[in-house]
Amino acid sequence: MSRWATIQQGFLATLVVWPGVAPFGMVYAVSALSAGLSFWETLGMSLIVFAGASQFTAVGMFGSGAHPFSIIATTAIINARHLLLAASTASYIRKSPTWLRALVAFQLTDETYAVGVQRFTQHGGDAWFQLGSNLSLYFVWATSTIIGSLLGALIPNPAALGLDLIFPLTFIAFTVPMLRDRVNLVVAILAAVISVATALVLPGSWYVLTAGILASAVGAWLARRQQLAQMEPINENS
Amino acid sequence: MSIWLTYAGMAAVTYAARAIPLLLLRNDPPAWLALWLKYVPPAVFTALIVPAVVTQMGDHGRVVQLGPAVGAAVVGALVAWRTENAIVTVGLGMVAFWLIRLVVG
Repeated sequence: MSRWATIQQGFLATLVVWPGVAPFGMVYAVSALSAGLSFWETLGMSLIVFAGASQFTAVGMFGSGAHPFSIIATTAIINARHLLLAASTASYIRKSPTWLRALVAFQLTDETYAVGVQRFTQHGGDAWFQLGSNLSLYFVWATSTIIGSLLGALIPNPAALGLDLIFPLTFIAFTVPMLRDRVNLVVAILAAVISVATALVLPGSWYVLTAGILASAVGAWLARRQQLAQMEPINENS
Repeated sequence: MSIWLTYAGMAAVTYAARAIPLLLLRNDPPAWLALWLKYVPPAVFTALIVPAVVTQMGDHGRVVQLGPAVGAAVVGALVAWRTENAIVTVGLGMVAFWLIRLVVG
C-alpha cells in the first residue's frame, strides 16, 4: 500500500477517539483564555506542546503566576509516561528511518498510541500509519482549541456532563477484547491494582509508569513459564 | 521569561520523553525485552482506565471515589466483550452513566 493511503488509514482509524478529545480541547481553550492567555498563546501551546493533561495543568499554573521552571518541571512529570508509550511503539516501528521515528515522536499521545498498537498487533508495525493517527489527533486538538476560543463561555463544562468518561470508555473498548488472552487478563488485573495504589500516593502520571512496567514484567514472566512448560514433555521423551 | 520560552521548555521535556525511546530502540531487542514490551499495551491501557474511573482529584491528591462512572465502566466492559465495537461501547457506557446518575441523583 502507498504511504499516502496508509497515512489516510491511520488518520481515519483515529476518528473513534475524537469525541473523547474534542470537548476537552474546547475547555482547555476557555480556561486558557480566562487565565489571561491570548488567542495565539492558547493555540500556540496546543500546537507546540500538544499534551492535553499537561496543558490544563500549565494553564492553572500560569493563572496562579507560577515560576516558568516549575511549570516546565510539572510538565516533565506529567509527560514522563510517554517514555513507556514510546518504548512500546518503538518495538513495532524500529525498522523505519530515524527521521520518520523522530517525526512520529512529536505527536505520540495516549490515544494515538492505543490506535497504533491495535493495528500493529494484528497487521505488523507501520510508522506511516502511526503518523496518520498522530496527525488526526493533532488536527482535532488544534481545531477544538480554535472552536473553544471562538465560542468561549458558551461551552458547557464537559466534566459536568460526564464527558470525561469517554476517554476511559474508549480505552475499555480497546482493552477488553485483549483480555480473552489469559496472560493479558492477569496483566490487566495487576495493572489495575498497581495503578490505583500508585495514583493514591504519587502525583502526575507515575501510576501509568509503575503499572505499565511492573504488570507487563509479570506478564512476560508468566508467558515465559508457559513457553517452558510446553517444551517440557518433549524434553522428558528425549 | 516570555511565555513562548516556557512553551519551548515544556515542548522540549515532552518531546524528550516521546523521542528518546523511539530513537534508541532500533536494533532487535533481546528476547526478554521483546516479551516484556509485548505486555506493555494491556498494562498501560488498564492504567489509563481504572484510576480515571475509581478515583477523583481531592484537595490533597487523589482519593478513591466510587460513583456512577464505575457502573458505566462495567456496562462498557460487557458491551466491549460482546461487540468489540468502540462506538457502541462508548455510546452505551455514556447512556448507562446518565441513567445511573439520574436514579442515584
